[in-house]
Amino acid sequence: MSRFIPMLFVLCLAYPHVAHADVVDETAIDKQVRAIAKTLRCTVCQTENIWESGAPLARQMRDAIRERVLRGESAGAIRAYFQSRYGDYIMMEPPKHGINWLIWLAPFLLLFGGGLLLWREINGWVTRTPAPRPDVPPLDEASRRRIRQDMEPPEV
Amino acid sequence: MIIEIGHFSVVIALVLSAFGMVTSVLALTTRNTDWVRVGRMAVTMIFLLLSAGMASLVYSFLTRDFSVHYVATTSNSQLPLFYTIAAVWGGHEGSLLLWVCLLSAFSTVAVWLHWRTQPAIMPYLIGVECLVILGFLLLILFLSSPFDRLIPAPPDGKDLNPLLQDPAMVLHPPMLYMGYVGFSIPFSFAMAALFSGRLGEEWIKVTQRWTIFAWLCLTTGILLGGYWAYYELGWGGYWGWDPVENASFMPWLVGTAFLHSVMVQEKRKMFKVWNLFLIIVTFSLSLIGTFLVRSGVLTSVHTFATDPERGLYILIFVTTVIGLAFGALLLRANALKSRIEMDSMVSRESVFLFNNLLFLVAAATVFLGTLYPLMIETWKGAKVTVGPPYYNTVFMPIALGLLFLMGVGPYIPWRKASRSTLKKHFLIPRAIGTASTLVVFVLGIHRAFALAGAFVVGFAGAAIVIDFGKISSLYARRASVNPLKGAWAAFTSNQRRYAGLVTHVGVLVLVVGILASTIYQTEKVVSLRVGDEFVLNEYRVKLERIHDVRGKNWSAQEGVFEVYEGETLLTRLRPQKRVYDASQTPTTESAIYSKNMGHIFLTMPDVSPDGVAVARGVINPLILLVWSGGGIMGLGVLLNIFRPHQRRDDDAL
Amino acid sequence: MTRVTQVTILIVLVILFALLYQGLWGDPHRIPTVLVGTRAPLFEGPDVETGASLSSSQFAGKVILVNFWASWCQECKVEHDNLLRLYEDFRDHPDFVMLGINYQDEVEDARAYLKERGSGFAHMRDVKGTLAIAFGVYGVPETFVIDKAGLIRHKRIGPIVGDAYTQLTKHVLTPLLNDANPVL
Repeated sequence: MSRFIPMLFVLCLAYPHVAHADVVDETAIDKQVRAIAKTLRCTVCQTENIWESGAPLARQMRDAIRERVLRGESAGAIRAYFQSRYGDYIMMEPPKHGINWLIWLAPFLLLFGGGLLLWREINGWVTRTPAPRPDVPPLDEASRRRIRQDMEPPEV
Repeated sequence: MIIEIGHFSVVIALVLSAFGMVTSVLALTTRNTDWVRVGRMAVTMIFLLLSAGMASLVYSFLTRDFSVHYVATTSNSQLPLFYTIAAVWGGHEGSLLLWVCLLSAFSTVAVWLHWRTQPAIMPYLIGVECLVILGFLLLILFLSSPFDRLIPAPPDGKDLNPLLQDPAMVLHPPMLYMGYVGFSIPFSFAMAALFSGRLGEEWIKVTQRWTIFAWLCLTTGILLGGYWAYYELGWGGYWGWDPVENASFMPWLVGTAFLHSVMVQEKRKMFKVWNLFLIIVTFSLSLIGTFLVRSGVLTSVHTFATDPERGLYILIFVTTVIGLAFGALLLRANALKSRIEMDSMVSRESVFLFNNLLFLVAAATVFLGTLYPLMIETWKGAKVTVGPPYYNTVFMPIALGLLFLMGVGPYIPWRKASRSTLKKHFLIPRAIGTASTLVVFVLGIHRAFALAGAFVVGFAGAAIVIDFGKISSLYARRASVNPLKGAWAAFTSNQRRYAGLVTHVGVLVLVVGILASTIYQTEKVVSLRVGDEFVLNEYRVKLERIHDVRGKNWSAQEGVFEVYEGETLLTRLRPQKRVYDASQTPTTESAIYSKNMGHIFLTMPDVSPDGVAVARGVINPLILLVWSGGGIMGLGVLLNIFRPHQRRDDDAL
Repeated sequence: MTRVTQVTILIVLVILFALLYQGLWGDPHRIPTVLVGTRAPLFEGPDVETGASLSSSQFAGKVILVNFWASWCQECKVEHDNLLRLYEDFRDHPDFVMLGINYQDEVEDARAYLKERGSGFAHMRDVKGTLAIAFGVYGVPETFVIDKAGLIRHKRIGPIVGDAYTQLTKHVLTPLLNDANPVL
């Protein structure tokens, strides 16, 4: 048997037309497995999900997902199972509960808080800045045109 | 023998860097310029000595001297010459030496280049650079020496990590480090400004080219890293939000903010403290990034080889530099109050401020995401992962905001803009933005951020093109020349501004590449035998044969896949499953065919003994735009750096 | 710059460096597990050496020490003698069971490994790796202790050597066998 397999392999190589050629495709199951595997972290890798990872543990996890998909478990249930075994660590993004809301909301809080502060600050500066004095002699028309041509998008 | 000479040179360099700091202190206290001259000599000597150290290491690699511990761990007698050189910085010790060697090179160039024009700055520049060099040399010599011998010498080396045996990896680290150390020059000038109290716009004008050059190197380094990840890691993505990647992205974000906000100080003499703050944060993030990557604080589980002692030293050093910088800033802050005059909310100044806000929020987000697992572990004793899905979600609005500002910013005048002019000016860009959103919608993309992205890219792109078109036709008419010459005349009339816009165009191209290759990506994984085929969008991919191939230091199973479009054979792709001889590490080598700026990307992750291959096909439309965009950005920066000196240059931004 | 801003910057920096300092001393062997205190998964599989079927139901009501190992794993070799010694020390206790679980391995390699180093207690193959996932295993070696009620009470990542050995025997196994709580 062990010698037969490589021979078969050689035969396949030598006579490709003899081998039965197929158009192969992904099944619906494959797609579900991928969708789930992409949301779970390969726990022994550096920030890599178990779909992309080549680690043996990741492969076994993919197989475990497939088994569960075939058994008819929902994506949510499968993810919950892995989470119950490895904790939040296995989820590719921090689950939205408890303290983790901090990291989900922080960018937006910073953005809006910072934006509001900046807005108020600029408004303050604007009100404190004296309006341009009218007694400055106006530019003559020629220089004004030159400056506009050079500095500003001309209004053609 | 050679390696000992190198070792000795680096020891002397260490002494000289301490001495260099002393000269700068002496120069400042005695006000004797001879000390500055001595300091310049010291910096130059440090550079030469470190180059000698580097050269001795390169020599040991090329002669395959496995009695050098570092050579034995990162190379192998069968390693090709090209990668043998890359192996010099393929490990922790050698890459640190490269870091500090580049730092000394930059310092030397800066000292000689600005010697005549900036005499007052010199003692500070020499002092700060010597401090940073000293810190790194202590680390190299006492905690991670690449010069240690391994007696008895092993018959052969362990080999360079196969993943690093890649052309992009040869250039990626030097580029990245040049970016990091490049920011040390404006940082030193800023320190000089703070310590000396000469707080004008001088330091910013002098360092403008340094800053933008450092930015160019960092950008190139990051993009090269992305390119490497894309075809070497074999999953068809170029950015994984990994802590190591984030460590380079954070200084980039704040550095970019700095690059923009200095213009406000140059033009309006405002926000002096803010700019000092930004450059200090940029360089601090470079150092903190080094700490995060080198200390093992953020490495994953089951990497037991962390060395807290080394990490502790780096932390102390980083804390010292950052503490000094922030200390000086906080103490000086009150002397630095610049009068702020703002005429309107709708002005270039305020666009720059909002730009800064967004860049800083982006940096803070990456920072928080990178450190969050550490925070949670310290606080609650639990582990969490902050992976790409998190960043993709929270980053999108910030990135879109930045792109929008990029579209409007350059066309809003300083001081005050009239709303009606703006309305008129942005009429066409807005129409084009809306049109591109509609096109994308009709094409069947309904995700909100994709639609928003299409609008912003259309808007910003149109704004740039229309503006430049108008100005060049104006120049063409004024000088009655053809439009091409008119465009050139317009470009050279204010090269700094238009070079900046070229970089902006590059950003837009890059963003289109990112959006298209993310949203439109098609992926398929199938198991097939020789003769079988699978359909990948409009292509048919057929496995023709699997055979064994042999490289210099690896052997592989190679799948030959024919790619058909209809009945025409487009190409034969040859992905491999390699095993490197020395380390017996398997890698997956991708095969790529480019068409219409997109990629057909194929890997063969597995072949079972009975001849069933697992093939993974990915279509990444427009992905080449990511790197083309990067190239255009780089071109813009080069045009900026090598612009002719003009009197008007610094006024007409 | 207002005093508030200055103080804020200082506080942020201090917190940051304290955090980074703390991070340096993180022990990668101590990965918090969510499984301690939960019901141990049920299992069955072939014995490595004999191929006979082993099942968790055989061990119900006993204190079970479960050790995940593989023949390719260096750190497993380091702890192997300790495991044998531990088994010798506790084997006479009627409520004690020790089970090795062979993980990601070829059966021939595993047999050779046990032949060379001595097997002592029973070893089961985790053929598909599903048991390792059920136990939330990251890598080998990992050791679990299950109490008489079937709850996981202790987990250790990395080899059982030095302090880990003392802790496991004195503070976990002995109390559990005497129906007391482990001292951690």
